[in-house]
Amino acid sequence: MYNYKVQRLLNNLDKAYIGPVLPMKEWDTKIIPQTIKAILKKHGLMGTLDMENPINCDDDLADAFFKAGWELALELGMYCEDTERVIKITEDELLECIRDYQAVNILGEGQDQVIMKPRRPEDPYQPLVAASLGIVCSEENYLPLVQGIVKYPKLVDVLHGPTLATVFGRTFRSGTPYETLMGNYESHLKKEALWRAGRPGMACTGVAGAVTEYGHLGGAPELAGRGNVTMSLCPVELKCTFSNFHRIMQGLNYGHKLRVGAFSYIGGYAGPAEGAALACVANDLLIPTILQSDYTSSYVYDIQLFGNCGRKAVWANSVSIQAISRNTGFMRNKIVNETGGPCTEMFMYEAAVGLMNHSVSGASKTTQPRSAGGRYTDYITPVECWWSGDVFKSCAGMTRKDANEIAKKILPKYEEKLGAPDKGLPISECFDLVKQQPKDNYIELFNRVRNELIDLGMPLDKAFGETYMGKVSNGRRTIVL
Amino acid sequence: MAKEEILKRIAKLVAEGDEEEAVQAVKEGFAAGLDPLVILNEGAAKGMDIVSEQYSAGEAYLPELVLSGDTMSAVIEVIFANMSKEQAAASKQGVIVIGQAKGDVHDIGKNVVAALLSVNGFEVHDLGIDVTVKSFYDKAQEVGADIVAISTLLTTSLPYLEDTARYLTDTNTRNKYQLIVGGGPVTPEFAKKIGADGWARNAFDCVELCRKLVAKGNPGAGSTMIVDSEAV
Repeated sequence: MYNYKVQRLLNNLDKAYIGPVLPMKEWDTKIIPQTIKAILKKHGLMGTLDMENPINCDDDLADAFFKAGWELALELGMYCEDTERVIKITEDELLECIRDYQAVNILGEGQDQVIMKPRRPEDPYQPLVAASLGIVCSEENYLPLVQGIVKYPKLVDVLHGPTLATVFGRTFRSGTPYETLMGNYESHLKKEALWRAGRPGMACTGVAGAVTEYGHLGGAPELAGRGNVTMSLCPVELKCTFSNFHRIMQGLNYGHKLRVGAFSYIGGYAGPAEGAALACVANDLLIPTILQSDYTSSYVYDIQLFGNCGRKAVWANSVSIQAISRNTGFMRNKIVNETGGPCTEMFMYEAAVGLMNHSVSGASKTTQPRSAGGRYTDYITPVECWWSGDVFKSCAGMTRKDANEIAKKILPKYEEKLGAPDKGLPISECFDLVKQQPKDNYIELFNRVRNELIDLGMPLDKAFGETYMGKVSNGRRTIVL
Repeated sequence: MAKEEILKRIAKLVAEGDEEEAVQAVKEGFAAGLDPLVILNEGAAKGMDIVSEQYSAGEAYLPELVLSGDTMSAVIEVIFANMSKEQAAASKQGVIVIGQAKGDVHDIGKNVVAALLSVNGFEVHDLGIDVTVKSFYDKAQEVGADIVAISTLLTTSLPYLEDTARYLTDTNTRNKYQLIVGGGPVTPEFAKKIGADGWARNAFDCVELCRKLVAKGNPGAGSTMIVDSEAV
């Protein structure tokens, strides 16, 4: 009944009670920055950030980050906030994790089942797309919005879904009984939306609105088994909490796959872009080993830009993804945090650069989009989800060199606005939820930007042809959404 | 050591976050006859300018900010102990209680704000993560806060910000504390809607907001001050 993962998880939970004691402030302000700095220096990785070439094309550099990340993972381990102790691992434990790691993750069931595989840089195997991220939407919009998000099987493989603004009209607060009820309610709505969309077997990655174990516990029974996933996000790089363990235990109890992640912040405890990249590599090694994830969901985020579509974060994500892709079979979900909102050029450009980068660097899956930075209620439509699938899948098999050249052309179109991004439009002004189609203003913008990027060399017209979403309306590349 | 050298050393040590040495240098300044106000404004404050600029330029990071903020707090304590009551009162930037809203453990943005506020001379009481409404209230009462600052990255923790405003109103203490709110999903519109006293776009704007609110006084008056350096 219980597999080896449970034993390993318990061993690591035990370590949270007997590992070295350390005040959290010392971990944050001394151990993490000093160790990262020392390892970067030892491996000659200081100053390797290349602002002129945001997508790394240097295999040796990726491998050097892998070696350094391996060393960091073994030297530090993960800090448990609840016990203020460090969960350390041995090299044997890390090697065993790599040895025993599964070849694929099978998500969903029946005709909606999809297979996640490890990918190497420039891998032609199409990665998976989960949509959306947990952006808040009105309760009355939830069903038709989710139905729209999963409309095109070629573009969206897995449902994560938006976050409900209310439950039965009531505002819900995290960590309260409202959240427990919300978990169940959201899961019911997801199943209903998938049935309406004709995709009942599609996998769900847990409860989007659940930020504590309560919401997960509320929703997990409704989504038990059938290739569904429990999500558990750590507070920051190289740290975990008992809340993480709770959610993972719940996931195992209900036969879920485990998606566990921790973000690394440029400007945060790990320091510069190189430090954040290094911490991200260590995260991707430690999380499967300590928290027994089936795949990780860690990425680099730029704390000053509130996203990861600037040059520093694009580079740090590229090198850290490639480090793991080239040297292990670990599968990873890599998120792009756009800041522009729905129906803006800015969103489409940010997603294009970020997702092209993650695709060519070897990510196995993404969860998208973060329309308008996730700040506003109802600032999400299915179109951003479709666009994410279009880009992420189309770019599979591109060379990093080509991707880098295209990224260099797109970045200047939006990077100056990252401090004050375009908010865009609420769903009511650019998408018709009844017809399940974008409005004319969004169709025009979508096709214009898509064609512009095809002209720059993005292979959007090659992966699905010109009619993946409908008929060709007037000749060459204009698609009817 | 010449007085100017001592001031330069204090600035450097504050910027580097060397608490022990900085406090020692301040004491050397007193021994050399430097006025506390001069030590504060031409020594310690210069140090905070240095580290703030370095952070803004991406040359210093959160750990440096935190250590520098701790050093600034220690230095200020020594300086104020050597000032007259009037001088100390005039030099105080304000007392801030800050924390991450209930249900939210994503505190890195809040930590940047708390560190920058400390670096800039505010007395900061950081309650950490997953802070209940009552904890904000109790701490504010305990330390005589000027400002209660609540952050969240999660939309599901937003209601706690409104709950805090309501709790202060219901306990007749809303006019004692400037309530400011921030974090990913917290917009100026939301801040206005819940009757917060202030909202700032980023950590640097938050320092300016706090300075302005402390100078303005009259918390809970119904207006929301917005500081947005990115506004066109």
